[in-house]
Amino acid sequence: MNERIRLMFAEAVDMKLEELSNGEMTIQVAYIAPMCEEKMIADFIFVPFAKREQPYREQLRTIVEYKVADDVAKWRDLLLRGNALIEADGIVYSLYAARIICNESPQTQVESAIQGPQLALSEDLTKSLNLIRSMYQSADLSVEEHTIGSVSKTPIMVVFDQRRVDPTILDNVRTKITTIHVEMVNAAGELDKLLIGKRKHLFPTVLITERPDRISKAIAKGKVVILMKSSMFAIILPATFFDFMHAVEDHYEAFWMTRFLIFLRYTSILLTITLPALYISIVSYNPELFRVQLAFSIAGSRSAVPYPSFIEVFIMLFMIETLIEASIRLPRYIGSTATTVGGLILGQAAQQAGLVSSIMIIVTSVVAIANFVIPVSSLSFAVRFLKYPLIIIAIFFGISGVAVGVFVYITYLCNLRSFGKPYFRIFGRLQPTEGDIGQVKLK
Amino acid sequence: MRNVFCCVILLVTVCFLGGCGFKDIDKRFFVVATGIDKTDNEQKPYRITLQLALPSPKIEPGASKAQLETIDASSIAEGVRMLKSHVDKELDFGHCKIFLVGEELARSDYSGMLQWMRRRRDIQSVADIAVAKPDAQALLGVKPVSERYPGNTLFLSFGADGTDSPYTYVQPLSEFSKRAFEKGLDPLLPIIIPDSKESYIINRTALLNKNKIIMVLSPEETQLFAQLAESYPKSSVRGTYEDTQVVAAVSDIRSKYRMTTQGAKTVIAFKVKMSVVLEDAPENLYKQEWASIEKKLSEDYSRQAEELLRKIQQAGVDPFGFGLRYRANHHSNNPNEAYEKWLPIYPGADFKVNAKVNIEGTGLIQ
Repeated sequence: MNERIRLMFAEAVDMKLEELSNGEMTIQVAYIAPMCEEKMIADFIFVPFAKREQPYREQLRTIVEYKVADDVAKWRDLLLRGNALIEADGIVYSLYAARIICNESPQTQVESAIQGPQLALSEDLTKSLNLIRSMYQSADLSVEEHTIGSVSKTPIMVVFDQRRVDPTILDNVRTKITTIHVEMVNAAGELDKLLIGKRKHLFPTVLITERPDRISKAIAKGKVVILMKSSMFAIILPATFFDFMHAVEDHYEAFWMTRFLIFLRYTSILLTITLPALYISIVSYNPELFRVQLAFSIAGSRSAVPYPSFIEVFIMLFMIETLIEASIRLPRYIGSTATTVGGLILGQAAQQAGLVSSIMIIVTSVVAIANFVIPVSSLSFAVRFLKYPLIIIAIFFGISGVAVGVFVYITYLCNLRSFGKPYFRIFGRLQPTEGDIGQVKLK
Repeated sequence: MRNVFCCVILLVTVCFLGGCGFKDIDKRFFVVATGIDKTDNEQKPYRITLQLALPSPKIEPGASKAQLETIDASSIAEGVRMLKSHVDKELDFGHCKIFLVGEELARSDYSGMLQWMRRRRDIQSVADIAVAKPDAQALLGVKPVSERYPGNTLFLSFGADGTDSPYTYVQPLSEFSKRAFEKGLDPLLPIIIPDSKESYIINRTALLNKNKIIMVLSPEETQLFAQLAESYPKSSVRGTYEDTQVVAAVSDIRSKYRMTTQGAKTVIAFKVKMSVVLEDAPENLYKQEWASIEKKLSEDYSRQAEELLRKIQQAGVDPFGFGLRYRANHHSNNPNEAYEKWLPIYPGADFKVNAKVNIEGTGLIQ
């Protein structure tokens, strides 16, 4: 066996090919050392083989962990997934002894909730499944395993409630997964793009989350969840726009306050998209929309600014976007310094230097802060882009242009489908059997 | 490739459709008040005075700065066009909430001015119109010391944010033009008089017909008119009781009227119900019966109101809209038929005012 394996693999020092003999019998053992738990291999193979308390041949036959691996073609995969291969008496057995390096039951970081489960999904599939199963203790929970990526061979799991799931969506997901041809998949976001199939999309149509409570709630609603090895994020599909505007805490806190928070989120998403465009169109086209005091003070503070309003907007937005981008990529210790320098000093200085007006500073900070109110970061990211087309329209057409632009966005949202489900549907649950008028044809 | 190219060309050309509307706020000159006077010159009968605000980032009391521009022109539109060449920025009437009509112009013919205001896109319908005495140019020269930004004092006097005076009648452009064109309803305008170099008095009202001022109401009559026509609270009633003057603040007032035909005569009967709190009253009133005072106040009020109504009737104007009510209640096939019937009726109509004053309290706690 070892000779054949040597031929299968490239020259690698971490490939262990041993031949052992204890007088009674001779076995060949093959495994990739870094992929396997050395202790487990010692406990299951080397020690019992050497001690001879029980005939090793007997052990191989009786203990279920040893599985017969006759098919030579599968050896390579088995070894790469952390199995050890044992040949005894001409029969090849495989033993699963994989060592998985992952973060130990991590805390939620991306979507944190003050009161609510603090544990996030793990990068290890079994631990993630443990979390989900302990939150969703139902016999109907179905778990399917698939593999994606011709090189990376990433295991993924499709989790759903077999009674509640929408069969058309499930079929759709299964066919999508089997038809994906790609070499490597490393992150949930990558899988998300492959599942959607569209390369250029403006809005996320599947929800990526790290929270087991969000996942269990989604499963209970009949949605399909895809877990992925070595990624602590799961994909929930189908998703609607409103799922993205919804934080898990909305279920945990006082009713009226959470309603108010939801209202606040929708207001801020509207502000962050339209405010720069409205600033341009009101300042340059319809100043009578301001109250007269405000009009005079804006005119006064703008009188030092040599550029037209849209250049001013571009200067400030460029500054704030670079600032946000820099503070995400920077290590935490430097991050706060960057925000202080950028936010306070640059903003103040830019205004004193007469590069931007003081109102523009307020507009920019409202835009940035309102953007962070969106609870799911993928939508927050997508929304950051939406203001720019509106700004362009506002430069040429003023307020009516902005209104048309917002209308176009809403139309686009209504046109979107997430796995065949309307993305922007507010009212009414869709029964799996009934179709939606104008629904896109599923391929 | 060809399609993409076409799309780009289309997008670029579409971008130019907006035209030249783009003008930054600091490149605009905000007109905060416009005055229109009549000159003696036959060729250039209009004198236009614009109060232009000089914006400043700091707004504090007394820091208001404004620039006055005056021009004589043959028409208002032409004058404004000419004035553009006197200033360095684009004139914007978007914040012009006050239009002052010189008394002389208002006494001759205001219809040309109204035409111009209604046609211009950037003049808002909520702008207030007033008659300036002696003329608009002099009035715009007044600089109130407390003013935070140009035009503020006049905005506040008329708007609901500042004072609520029963003597100040507010007439927005939309209302004025409605009254100027509706048959059976005549316009009225407040009159602004400069008090000194630093303040204004607005307590008289001019009654106009479709062309010019017919009569002027005194401050007391202005208040009475507001009470009768608009049930205006925050006002007062006045009367005498046993030779002492009684003044009461109105807390609630309801005024309505019915028009009935009795024989050949049309009777317009007002019913005015009000609740008042005494402000000026005899000393030992608290323990007395109030019914007699209420009766006396009601009688005094009825008499004053009837006098005012007859005075307005004799002047031949109809600011209450009796004619409009008549037209609404009388069917006619021809649009003008009802109105033509009304015209001879109005001068002969009889007025009756039935006031009912209810004293809520003396304003004192014993």
